[in-house]
Parts: sequence; C-alpha cells; structure tokens
Amino acid sequence: MGNEQIRELPAAPTAPGGSGGGGGAWAPGAVHRLLLARTDAFWDFLTGRPVSLYATSVLRIGYGLLYLSFLLREFPHRDEIWGPGSPWTPSLAAQLFDQTGWYSFLILSDSRAYFELCYALALVTSTLFMLGWRTRVTSVVFATVVASFHARAIFMTDGGDNLLLLMAFYLALTACGRRWSLDARRARIKSARADGTPTTRARSHVPQDLRAARTTLATVVHNCGVFVIAAQVCFLYGSAGLYKVQGSFWDDGTALHYVLNLDLFQPWPALSHAMDRYPLAMAVVGYLTVLTQVAFPFVLFGRLKYPVLGVLLGMHVAIAVVLGLPLFSATMIVADAVFLPDRFYTFLPHLLRRSASRCNVPTPGQGAALGSVPQQCAHPDGREEYRPVSRPASGHAGPPPSGPTVAQ
Amino acid sequence: MCVVTTLVHLGAVFLHVAPPNPVSQRYSRQVDAWVYPFFEQNWRLFAPNPDSVNRRVWARTAHTQPDGSARVSPWTDLTALDRAAVEHDPFPSHSAQNLLRRAWSSYVDTHGADDTARSARAVMMQKYLGNIAAERVAGLRGGTFEFVQLRVVTAPVVAPGTAAGHRPPTPVENRLLPWWKVTPRGK
Repeated sequence: MGNEQIRELPAAPTAPGGSGGGGGAWAPGAVHRLLLARTDAFWDFLTGRPVSLYATSVLRIGYGLLYLSFLLREFPHRDEIWGPGSPWTPSLAAQLFDQTGWYSFLILSDSRAYFELCYALALVTSTLFMLGWRTRVTSVVFATVVASFHARAIFMTDGGDNLLLLMAFYLALTACGRRWSLDARRARIKSARADGTPTTRARSHVPQDLRAARTTLATVVHNCGVFVIAAQVCFLYGSAGLYKVQGSFWDDGTALHYVLNLDLFQPWPALSHAMDRYPLAMAVVGYLTVLTQVAFPFVLFGRLKYPVLGVLLGMHVAIAVVLGLPLFSATMIVADAVFLPDRFYTFLPHLLRRSASRCNVPTPGQGAALGSVPQQCAHPDGREEYRPVSRPASGHAGPPPSGPTVAQ
Repeated sequence: MCVVTTLVHLGAVFLHVAPPNPVSQRYSRQVDAWVYPFFEQNWRLFAPNPDSVNRRVWARTAHTQPDGSARVSPWTDLTALDRAAVEHDPFPSHSAQNLLRRAWSSYVDTHGADDTARSARAVMMQKYLGNIAAERVAGLRGGTFEFVQLRVVTAPVVAPGTAAGHRPPTPVENRLLPWWKVTPRGK
C-alpha cells in the first residue's frame, strides 16, 4: 500500500507554490531531490503519528453527549419520531429506502417492543461512545445507530442532525478514544502494571510486524479522517456563506429581521421582538455572519482563526437561545473544536488547576482537607481560558507537547 | 489508497455542496453516485434568503354517518400546537419545530402548486401529511373520521420599517387541499 501512495503523491508538491519561490532555473536533479524530500516529509507526517488526538476525543465526547441528550429530550416523542407509531410509517420509510438505498435497522420489525429495545441500545451506545469504552467498535456501532435513527426520521431532521450523522461516520475512522476515555484509563493502568514486570519480547517477528503495520494503517486512516472532518466543516461554512451572499436579504441587511420573526423559531418572543427593534445592530450582525462564514476556510492557517472561532461560538450560542436551536448550535460548536490544537487541550487542565488555586480552591493534588469550604472564585474570567490560545507559544507552564494541528 | 479516497471524497462533497457550476454539472452523475445517500448534505441555512413567511396548517375531518351524510368537524390550527410547544422551551422538540414544517415543505417540493400527485414520492408525502393531520386531530379532539382536509395559510413577515398595524401589500396565500381518505380513526 505504501509504495503506491508514494508514487501517487508527487502530484501535490508540483502544484504552484509547492516547489518554493524559485526562479524557475532548477536543475532537473534538484527538482527531483526536492520532490523526494517533500514526499518523504509528507509521508512521515501522514504515518508518523496521529494528529489531533485530543480534538477528536473532544468530538467523540461532544457528539456522544449530544446524541444522548437528543434521545432523552425526545423520550416523550420517541414513538412519533422513530417508532412504529410515527406518521412516517414503517412502510413509507421502507418504500423510501428502496428508492434511495438507505437502510435503518429500525424498520426490521413493527413491534413496539423491538423499537424500545433499539431505543435503549441507542442510549447505551451513545453513553459508551461518550465515555470511550472499546472505542473502535463502539464508534462503528454509534455510527450505525445514528444513521438508522436519522434515516428513519429523515423528514424531521435539520442541519444539526445532518452534521452529527456525517461526524459519526468520520469519527469511526479516527482513533478518537485515545484521550480522556475509559480506553485511555485502561491503557494507563495496564502500562503501570507492566512497569513492575519485565517486558516480554515478542517471540517471533511476524506478530510484531503485523502490529506495526496495523499501527501505521490506523495512523494513516486517523489522519485522513481528521483531515476530512476539518475539510467538511470548511465546506459547511464556506457553502453556507456562499449561498447567503446570493440572498437579497443578507445583502440589504434585513435577513435577521425575517429570521427573528419565524414563529417556530421564537421560544422567547419578547427577546426576538426586542432584538428586532435594533435594525442597525441586526444588519451589522448579519454582515458579520456572512463574512465570517465565507472567510472561515481562509483564516484557519493563522492566529486569526481564534477570534473567528470566538465569533462563531458567540453566533451559535445566540442561535441556540434566540432561535431555540440548542442541538443544532451545539453540533456546530463541537465541530469547531476540531480546529483547536492539542496543546490547547493539554494546557486546559493546567489552566483550570491554576485558576482554581488562585481562587484558593483546594485541588486534590494539594491534599487539602476535604471538609474545608472552597472559596468561590470572585470573577470566573471566561476570557482567561482563551489566553493560551491567542498566545499558544508563550510557554506559561513549560513546553506543552506541541504538535501539528489540523490546520497547520 | 487512503489519501486518494480522502481526496475523491472531499472533491465529491465539495461539488455537492457548492452552488451549481459547470464542473458540478459535468460530473453530477459521479458526484451523486458517491455522495448519495449517506453523505448527502445541504448547508443553505437561512440561505439564500431566510423564509419571509409564516405558514399555518389547519385541518378538519369528516365522518360518513350511517345514513350516508357527512359530518364535518370545525378547523383545527395544527401549527398553533407547535408554536405553543416551542414557546418558552429552551430545548424545543423536533416534533414541534421540524415535523409538520418539513412535511409541508416536502409536500410542496413534490407537488408544486397543484395537489395532484405526479410521482411516487409525491404520493408518499401526501400520505405522510395526511397521517400527521389525522394523528394530531385525533389526539386533540378524538372523534371518528375517515377523511381529512388541510388548509394552509401563508402570511408574510412584515418588511422592516413597515409601521405596525398596516397590512403588508403582499397577498396572503390560502391554499385549500382536497379531502384525503385516511386510515379510519376513533373506531
């Protein structure tokens, strides 16, 4: 497999810009050497180590939790949405699957008991996926569950469900259970135990080679999966922005007026009407939305991505509250998390501990008395958490394990 | 192999989500074959323009009495139920925000302006919409009926700057659908 890839790869570096800013007077040998070096570097990057392990774990936890909340939220409506009692009857669903090629295990039986079993399976799967238990297998089951539930109620889905489905597929390709998971905990305990006993070398080379090949394969697939996730989010924002640019309401700044006046997206009518009374502010926000979405794919390669991600976060929180679309918004927010580098995530616990100790909150590591009442942090400064992001290399707390991120 | 698959996938998804252009038209068959059904996506979120109308779906039912005459129920505002469910709920259900709304938009997508079903999909959407109406009415009022009829009233969102109280010039659409036979309820 490897050899094929290497042969195909030189296509990328020959693209304009890939060969560096040369004057065009390269000797054929030099070009060849350069291409080889580039190819090797790319190959090493691809197979060397899995990137963004923390980010994918955050996606796993986020989407597991979101799907669990979704299932629980719809508990009173579960039969109406996915069950045999749905107005989109099992036979209509089956007919549609025949036309589209989709599949859902929910239509295997019309019995209510079978449906309840599937619903329970979905709850358990989402929980296990969130916790990262036997993640490789669980992630495949989770993707199957999400696909089945999504397809069964295809005419009740919105953009958030669509993205969650795509992410469930893509996450099954990644090693999303290596951090902050039960798997990671088990591996830690196992290695701690193994430290005490002398390591036993593999008796033959074959299993070792196999294991190495498996690791390389997992790494390559993981890295490709992460890249696909990142590109998917770029496509999402890019096309959402491009389509908005074509709209006259977004052009003349009145789009948000119409959005705020949609009956079904008005959980707090007083709030919507209050916002609608500030057309200038709404026009500015509308323009900012379009610009941010169109710009999104282009700002990912520099520091500018942090303020843009911040703007998007604010936008999504506003959508969640004002339009009553918390699930949709949370799905988008979790997707954005893929663009934060691992060093941000490794730094997070550090930062939390530090801000906790500044507020004199005893941390377990300090061996504080359990009985004492921790003093509340007077100003839990939300922006504080963002500092290491905008200054990632400032090294507040020693060298964080820096690594290539998706975007860099 | 992985890299090639990745690139092909991303290329196909890109052409699928991008606004129609010569490239995506030329390769539409290949792109569709790759993307459908699992990677279908649409990110026209409130775009190109957000909806500038609010639709209200009303339903009434009819029951044929033993003497052959039909007893017709008064109209029920189904959308009002959804609105009431969404209001003051920080986490509204899909069954309120999406179910009826998307069923109606899919019906319009498959039927257009007239109510004759010209495709298998159109027949399916009609059945779906009829089931929703029948279930909602039965859940709300009970009673026995075999037929259901819908009326969809479309009201525009008043353009910004229009003084409150002035009726907008845009006409309000009032679409009365034919009676549909549904699985008898309430028996």
